Amino acid sequence: MSDLVVRCRNLGRTYDADAIPVHALRGVDLDVVAGEFVSLAGPSGSGKSTLLNLIGALDRPSTGDVVVDGVALAGLGEAQLADLRLTKIGFVFQAYNLIPVLSARENVEFIMQLQGVPARERRDRALEILASLGMAELADRRPGEMSGGQQQRVAVARAIVTRPALLLADEPSANLDSETTKGLLELLRRINEERHVTIVTATHDPMVMSYARRRVQLLDGRIASDQRVSAETA
Amino acid sequence: MPLRLLLQLSWRNLWRHRRRNLMLFTAILVAIAACVLLGSLIRGMQNDMMKDAVENLSGNLKVLAPGYREDPSIERAFALTEDYRPDIPDDEMIGWTRRVRVPAVVTSERETRGISLVGVDPGEERAISFLAQVDVRGEPLADADDDRILLGVELAARLDTAVGRRVVIMTQGADGRNREAGFRVAGLYDASGTALEKSYAFTGIHPLQKLLGTNDVTEVSVRLRDDRFSASANRALSKEMGGLEVLNWRQLDPQAAAFYEIADVGITIWYVILLLALAFGLINSLITAVLERVREFGMLRALGMRPRAVVVQVVIESVLIVAFALAGGIVVGVGLVAFFADGIDLSNYAAGAELAGMRSRLVPHLIARDVMVLGALAVALAVFASAYPAWRAVRIKPLDALRR
Repeated sequence: MSDLVVRCRNLGRTYDADAIPVHALRGVDLDVVAGEFVSLAGPSGSGKSTLLNLIGALDRPSTGDVVVDGVALAGLGEAQLADLRLTKIGFVFQAYNLIPVLSARENVEFIMQLQGVPARERRDRALEILASLGMAELADRRPGEMSGGQQQRVAVARAIVTRPALLLADEPSANLDSETTKGLLELLRRINEERHVTIVTATHDPMVMSYARRRVQLLDGRIASDQRVSAETA
Repeated sequence: MPLRLLLQLSWRNLWRHRRRNLMLFTAILVAIAACVLLGSLIRGMQNDMMKDAVENLSGNLKVLAPGYREDPSIERAFALTEDYRPDIPDDEMIGWTRRVRVPAVVTSERETRGISLVGVDPGEERAISFLAQVDVRGEPLADADDDRILLGVELAARLDTAVGRRVVIMTQGADGRNREAGFRVAGLYDASGTALEKSYAFTGIHPLQKLLGTNDVTEVSVRLRDDRFSASANRALSKEMGGLEVLNWRQLDPQAAAFYEIADVGITIWYVILLLALAFGLINSLITAVLERVREFGMLRALGMRPRAVVVQVVIESVLIVAFALAGGIVVGVGLVAFFADGIDLSNYAAGAELAGMRSRLVPHLIARDVMVLGALAVALAVFASAYPAWRAVRIKPLDALRR
């Protein structure tokens, strides 16, 4: 049990849309162990993003509970949830969401700054990760001076530089062309294999699914299928 | 809390909307500069009020016999030895003098007026009262033995007399009997048409004492280098002048003191009104800045920034812009004060200025404490103005913001 990174039990999420309850997620059970590369797939409204948000402590479930890296999210306050996101989870968003006034290096350093990592170490680690992802020459560029693919790679660098227990990626390829998407997925796979980072991604992009070692299909708020794929097949 | 990071983010965010922030910066700078200049002009006016009150024979402190203020007659005089000197250190005191002041009637060939007749030592007055500064047509009094009289220009006009003519003074002597003597007019002093000029006449202290039949005096007036020495000097005088009243200029001239206090409060009210007006502009600008960055704040929260840090970031942005505008405003304000250092000529409005207790030339007087109060109020304004925008920013839910 010690390598269980995500544990969801009877997870449900109901939204009130104009006083009409919408069940986005209905009693989902999901375990993710360390080192897995999981894709949550399904059509729009299937609940994949809702599940990802609940795992990422960005939303609170209507029923059930989530445990991330041994920490039960139920009952945690806003500040505690912020701390959990800061220390245990790395995020890659659909729209990159880099801080526009900071350079690539400073964006990568951002999480470490919040964590209180000393300046010298922060800088070294940021430059090292950018170099390892082939972006050393972009270190001083601001987001507005980079392409979408470059920004997403910086976002990945920012997400993994603190070695989080879990990397969550919500539609990471949505704004990228196929060539750039391929490059990003190769990067995620490399991170998963070499750094043993646990990745959970929500997507409806078949290419993203094809890179995952485990494909969880959602439909109408429930898990319709859950397949593990061998390295050779993936 | 990563203050350095928040400072960095806030600073760079200010540069994202240069035009808007430049306009806000300019508005605050102009307001601060106006506060500095107008505050110093009010202080200048206040200074004039105090100087007028102190120099118009009051001094910072005055020793009087009990009851003299209600009935200023020679019966309420007191004895003073020839070698008396107030026990106040030289570095606290500009000078002092003894005087005899009695009510009298002055008669010229044509008119009769009730006046205050003051026997003075012109040498001692030089350092401490307005007598040494006013223009005199004719001659000023020479010394304490000068038996001529110095009239105000206004009083002379009312008496229809002139320099070189004689007037008759009638007053009550120390023995209670009426005394009468003729005085030649030595000169006419011009105190810019003030009440002094209409009702005060001066002569040497010794001839007046002789006329009254006494060697006593009715007052000792002390001029201090700074009014803050007033309390200690008062204690020293009270100790050596047992049984006499030692009064400060505020007690002697309550009207001037009241104007002085009003000016004190007025400066603070002026600062608060101007800064409050600015606060709304600042709030508006900060709310716009927050609403433009809803997604960004949501992302920062999603990445693990605590709600408190978001609040601090908005507050820092507000404080930064106010702090720079404050610094600029103080520099401009001090520059304006330096520009007007010789004073603003109000001679065209002399009558109104006098009514307001001002002189015909208003000289600004900058006080460091006022600038510090202004600075503190401006920083408080920055924090106050950022409270609502910060509250709006912290209410942003990360998920809602990221969905935008």
